[in-house]
Amino acid sequence: MKFQINRSHLLEGVQDVMKAVSSRTTIPILTGIKMEVHSEGMVLTGSDNDISIERHIPIEEAGNVNIEVAQPGKIVLSARYFSDIVRKLPGETVEIEVGERFETTLRSGASEFNLIGLDPEEYPRLPQVEEKEVLMIQGDLLRQMIRQTVFAVSTTETRPILTGVNMKLEEGVLTFVSTDSHRLAKRIASIDNSTEGLAFQNVVIPGKSLNELSKIVEESSELVHIVVTNNQVLFKTKNTLFFSRLLDGNYPDTSKLVPSESKTTLVLSTKEFLQAIDRASLLAKEGKNNVVKLATIDETNIQISSNSPEVGKVFENVTTQSMQGEELKISFNAKYMIDALKAMDCSDIEIWFTGAMRPFLIRPTEGETVTQLIVPVRTY
Amino acid sequence: MSWEPLRQRQDKVVKTLTNSIKKNRLAHAYVFEGGRGTGKMEIALQVAKTYLCRVTQDANPCGECKDCRRIDSQNHPDVHRVAPDGQSIKIDQIRGLQKEFAYHGMESDKKVYIIEHVDRMTVQAANSLLKFLEEPSDATIALLLTEQKHRLLDTILSRAQLLTFTPLPTAALIASLQEEGVSSHMASLAAALTNDRSEALEICREEWFAQARDKVIQLTEELRNRPNQVLVSLQENWLSFFKEKEQLDYALNLLLIWYKDLLFIQLSEPEHLVFADQMQALEQQALHISQKVISEKMRAVLTAKQRLGANVNPQLLMEQLVLRLREG
Repeated sequence: MKFQINRSHLLEGVQDVMKAVSSRTTIPILTGIKMEVHSEGMVLTGSDNDISIERHIPIEEAGNVNIEVAQPGKIVLSARYFSDIVRKLPGETVEIEVGERFETTLRSGASEFNLIGLDPEEYPRLPQVEEKEVLMIQGDLLRQMIRQTVFAVSTTETRPILTGVNMKLEEGVLTFVSTDSHRLAKRIASIDNSTEGLAFQNVVIPGKSLNELSKIVEESSELVHIVVTNNQVLFKTKNTLFFSRLLDGNYPDTSKLVPSESKTTLVLSTKEFLQAIDRASLLAKEGKNNVVKLATIDETNIQISSNSPEVGKVFENVTTQSMQGEELKISFNAKYMIDALKAMDCSDIEIWFTGAMRPFLIRPTEGETVTQLIVPVRTY
Repeated sequence: MSWEPLRQRQDKVVKTLTNSIKKNRLAHAYVFEGGRGTGKMEIALQVAKTYLCRVTQDANPCGECKDCRRIDSQNHPDVHRVAPDGQSIKIDQIRGLQKEFAYHGMESDKKVYIIEHVDRMTVQAANSLLKFLEEPSDATIALLLTEQKHRLLDTILSRAQLLTFTPLPTAALIASLQEEGVSSHMASLAAALTNDRSEALEICREEWFAQARDKVIQLTEELRNRPNQVLVSLQENWLSFFKEKEQLDYALNLLLIWYKDLLFIQLSEPEHLVFADQMQALEQQALHISQKVISEKMRAVLTAKQRLGANVNPQLLMEQLVLRLREG
């Protein structure tokens, strides 16, 4: 293998795939970056076994020649050394040549490095994706959907399946659901760009992978292609392929959890309510579930309060835009409420209560794209 | 790569495994139990290859494809090997495994995990492992390797199929070592310590080992001739020489073999002797000791070995042992 490449393009690519490379890995080959050069360009791959990132660098882009391939081939190079070397090389182009026993020479300007490479055959194979059943979604919408759900995944491993976000596509409606069994976040969006008749249900993507993904997807309306395979899911942007392994198991049916009617309905300004909860949570204790109480006073007022006997108390009245139904006193975890409100992205919200012991639902006053569900805390 | 060479060493185990592979009835968990060097890891890797190789024919993996080669080089993403991290297998290692098994496989749905020295799991780790032995997923195989199955939790044993590896015939091993040009007394000693040919060969070639052997013989002499001096010489010669825990373990094994030889002398079965070249010294010692006392001394050595495993201070351990050996 022998080729020449523009250094800044190479650096950009290496930095992208480095996001997937972990320094703590039990599989020695994954400390490396795989590099493959063929007649159409170059493919860089990095992986930590959970997520894998593939980055393409085309031979030619906007009339500029990026790569000159003298001889195609592939190699795995230590990610740590290779990325540092590429960053500090002096010249504008880098010449890379691989010998028979994976010894690799990097030449740039007046400097020359000899790196010992690894056998590319040892590198994990990523699924060969046939782009037959593709789901297409705008990058900014995908990022928003991730942001609005991923915070609610479980962080404990007692039920591993709940550490992921459930992705579902039915009749052109894409749903993201996540829950840690104390709260639930759900976001739906209608998709008009997917393959006809495409549907899937039990696809559970680890929350960690989605957090990484949202760093890679650009905040633009450019389309991201999503392909689901048996073991992995692929998110494809223009030059980058992001693979994540899926969680194994059946995601619990969450559709029955969401209440369909309400006994008490509040309409509030998101920002005011959020700030009030945030203030009340100052005195709420982490160890005791951050309990904050909400009580209805009259048609236009509710009271938020919190009490820690050894610290002090706080009371605050919040004006509601409307209040319908029965009077109510309820306690809940302030952290869950803050997380949920931050993910709402709308100026006014509606809260549906069905009693002090039943989960309550938060949703925007307009539209039903986001639904948040929180289980209250039992207090005496 | 065929099972044949392995079959010659572990006929019963290989037969059981290949039959279940052919019938597609591999259990979800196996405990491989057997002494050092009986080929547990080789067979575990062979099972992994057979299971994951895509061109397995008649239960024989090809040994050349990407999957097989990566299992050998420990680069296969769906084969997870866990070995004790220092003294024991920690709960974090098992948690890592558990996380791994919540995911779908990287390349296929099949996953294999191999845990070496399962007996060295901490209690928490063992309980944690138990949890996912109880709820196996379809395409996962657990291979648990151990030299001491009695140290495993009953609840783990009851959830796995137990395969016992038979030790190799010692005579064959001694003969093959002698072919390599090893002297007969070193060969028999190495064969008594391990069942693995390459490890035995290494033992024989090491200068350290010949010295260790002399030290042990010296100690037994001193125990008989100058029992009052023995604590001093323990301090001077012994502890500075057997510094590491493994080294001390070897020394205790040698001591045990020595007492076993004494028994053989008393039973007049000199053909079983390991320290055959020390016939004279053995005979002399055997004259002064009864079988009952010998067995008590052997018990003392075994207790010391157990305590060594439980991290007892080596100096205190040896002093106590020597005092007890001196009594008889």
